[in-house]
Amino acid sequence: MSQSLKPYLTAVRASLTAAICLQDFSSQLVERHNRPEIEVDNSHDPELILNPMVIARNENEKILIEPSINSVRISIKIKQADEIEQILVHQFTRFLTSRAENFFILRRVPIKGYDISFLITNFHTEQMLKDKLVDFIIEFMEDVDKEISEMKLFLNARARVIAESFLIPFD
Amino acid sequence: MLHIEQNNLLLQNTLTERLYPSDPSANPKSLDRIVSDFDFTTFHVSTLSDRNLILISVYLRCWDDLVNYGVVNYLSNKYANFPSLTVLTGGEIEQGYNFSIVLDVKAAIEESEESKQELIEQLSLLKRHSMAAPFEQAFARYDELSKQYANSNTYSEEVQQELLNEPILVIKYRGIDESIYLKPSFDRVTVIFSTVFQDETDKIFGKVFLQEFMDARKRAVQTAPQVIYTHGSPPLDIQQVVHGGDNDNKGYVTFVLFPRHLVKGDKRDNCISHIELFRSYFHYHIKCAKAYMHSRMRFRVKEFLKILNRAKPENVVEKKTASGRRFDRS
Amino acid sequence: MSSIGTPAVVMDNGTGYTKLGFAGNDAPSFVFPTAISTSTASSKTSKGGPRSTNLASKRGLEDLDFYIGDEALEAANGPNYSLSYPIKHGQIEDWDQMERFWESSIFKYLRCEPEDHYFLLTEPPLNPPENRESTAEIMFESFNCAGLYIAVQAVLALAASWTSPKVQDRSLSGTVIDSGDGVTHVIPVAEGYVIGTAIKNIPLAGRDISSFIQQLLRDRGEADTSLQTAEKIKEQFCYVCPDIVQEFSKFDHYPKEKFAQYIVEYTDRNKKNIVDVGYERFLAPEIFFNPEICSSDFLTPLPTVVDQVIQASPIDVRKKLYKNIVLSGGSTMFKDFGKRLQRDLKVLVNERIHLSERSSGAQSTGVEVQVISHKKQRNAVWFGGSLLAQTAEFKSYCYTKRDYDEQGPNIVRNFSLFAVP
Repeated sequence: MSQSLKPYLTAVRASLTAAICLQDFSSQLVERHNRPEIEVDNSHDPELILNPMVIARNENEKILIEPSINSVRISIKIKQADEIEQILVHQFTRFLTSRAENFFILRRVPIKGYDISFLITNFHTEQMLKDKLVDFIIEFMEDVDKEISEMKLFLNARARVIAESFLIPFD
Repeated sequence: MLHIEQNNLLLQNTLTERLYPSDPSANPKSLDRIVSDFDFTTFHVSTLSDRNLILISVYLRCWDDLVNYGVVNYLSNKYANFPSLTVLTGGEIEQGYNFSIVLDVKAAIEESEESKQELIEQLSLLKRHSMAAPFEQAFARYDELSKQYANSNTYSEEVQQELLNEPILVIKYRGIDESIYLKPSFDRVTVIFSTVFQDETDKIFGKVFLQEFMDARKRAVQTAPQVIYTHGSPPLDIQQVVHGGDNDNKGYVTFVLFPRHLVKGDKRDNCISHIELFRSYFHYHIKCAKAYMHSRMRFRVKEFLKILNRAKPENVVEKKTASGRRFDRS
Repeated sequence: MSSIGTPAVVMDNGTGYTKLGFAGNDAPSFVFPTAISTSTASSKTSKGGPRSTNLASKRGLEDLDFYIGDEALEAANGPNYSLSYPIKHGQIEDWDQMERFWESSIFKYLRCEPEDHYFLLTEPPLNPPENRESTAEIMFESFNCAGLYIAVQAVLALAASWTSPKVQDRSLSGTVIDSGDGVTHVIPVAEGYVIGTAIKNIPLAGRDISSFIQQLLRDRGEADTSLQTAEKIKEQFCYVCPDIVQEFSKFDHYPKEKFAQYIVEYTDRNKKNIVDVGYERFLAPEIFFNPEICSSDFLTPLPTVVDQVIQASPIDVRKKLYKNIVLSGGSTMFKDFGKRLQRDLKVLVNERIHLSERSSGAQSTGVEVQVISHKKQRNAVWFGGSLLAQTAEFKSYCYTKRDYDEQGPNIVRNFSLFAVP
């Protein structure tokens, strides 16, 4: 693990653990509704929304945590150094979001400026262990980077073999 | 499968079935089959009123270009050595197709094992042969030029000018956007493919692949043709014959074939067969790479789900709930 | 679009066999087992873990090292390949392998650039929509296919029956009896929609018939009792008789005409075996009508199942379902299969009509029972697909790559039904 990654992840872990303190909360606007407050327009009752925070390793790698009383939205920007990584990240996140129903906490559409977003509500924390949810996010962040760079390596290696095996028979 | 086969498997199977009937005494069945091949090529294999005669017709999108480069003669010569084949001409050619051959099955069955195999082989290479005509012509022109300039100073301006004015052979093998350009010279033949990428992923993957094509010569295969890739606008060599403006999804791949690749005989034939299929090979491998990425991503999704499921306390006991089964599928 | 003029590709991937071909042809170009054998080096365990040391894996090409169809069966005999069947019970189970199966189908066998062709794929009834989405994801994202239509197999089988002169109106209502290698389905279809609640499966099909014949051969102690021989006998000699008892006595009275001999040939030309073919000629297909002769846990005869299926369907479509019973799949190819089914079913229906006439006192207008056999029965699903995909309208019913890119995978959850004039 590179030098700066560890403190980055530690910071994310601490902030997430702090942010996922959720309680059941019925909507104050619509009777008998219970909605993730972070997702609704909350100009009426701003007290339900806490201050969002951004943890950034650099401008290409950052995480946005937006807590509220009953839900927290976590958006991740995945490292993309070049065109290839961009397209791979795009493909990968699309692949994940199209399977969002299996992931419970995955948001189908990421927040603008980020690649992938999660939404954790109090119902999730009631059913699942909070520490493990945080673990998941952290592992996700680690594995995504690993996977993208592996895919990129694969692509280059494959391209090389393909090029060579096309060109060799000419001689 | 690393390489794409030269011959058409289905054509080969169909003819093999006919030439090696399981029950030789039975009357041959009628046949009417459309067979497809890369680059909008369509074959039509059908029996005539006499069921021992099989009509094989081919349609190629770039036929008009090929005709300019002597495809009819080339094919007629290729198939002239088979007594059981009759090449049709003019109005006899099947409507909607460019080239027709009639195979007399009765005569062909009588032939020796070897010539039967050769017949099937050559017929299943019909597309390869059609596309080969312009290459043959360009290479023949290279032979002429190399003889002509053998003793002259090729660096002189007049010679350079003459070479520059050497006509370019254009084969619009997939319509206007994707063409092959051939430019013979005295010490090389330049083959330029233009190809279009359907979507963004293809474009980027394609760039990675082509970068490696360019580097391969430097790194591993010094004897390979030189490859140059330009994106968007056409290379200088062919600027005068390229129609339509610059297109961001379009790429030009230049192969420079050197004399060592153009040695007459098997090597030259092999070179033609090989380079003809460049586009199919290239796009096939982009697709395979994408398929492999998919399988990686499926694997990764499964792994992520495993991690997420650890967060569920009840998960330890009941792993095979209805939802549990869903995970396996994704 | 560039795909104008190219024939559409029709792929029918079944549990046992895959049929591949181009629309407009009257038979699939390729029929081979839906099997794929992958290099054992590329198995999932090696992913990320220590790589095996053979050449292909060193170059990172193990995902291209595989065979499909008959070649797969052959390769699996060797040490380096393991065989698997990506489709189970009609549904795709292993997407990684299916993707590669298609890859090879398209580029090696059909030899076409998917960007230039429209595709018609088939799916079993009650296929979950997620499977459709995954299919579309592969077809559009990996292969960039020009357009895609996914049709339900039973509906295509109905369309294939239009070639029979018995069919007057080309409606998409009827009961499909689809009997392939593994399972037999009885599927009611009303106006192109499968009535999912009424579908019934019979666990008897081609494979069971073959092994039943094999059992009979073994009991008699024939010289060759391999499954292949049993299959050949099934295909060449079997037929459906109107009545077993009479058929037995026919065999006793005219043994010369009835008993047959099958000569087993081997790759070694000097070796030959002669197998006598006896009662299994009519007994084998009889398991559909009297399942107790071979199975102990499934005892409902096929005509009764068909009747139950139609009775379970909405009352307003039942007449149409009785009138248009369509056969599909290799195991319905026995001579007189349709006739026998029609006769037995008629008996059942008439009994019920009789009963209700007696209890209500009203005269019934009668119910027409018609079983349709036709020449394309063996590959009926594929043929139906070919028929639909060659029409000029076909492309307008497909979703194109552009539609997919705009709206995402869930676009394929609905396909408009095909009404062919």
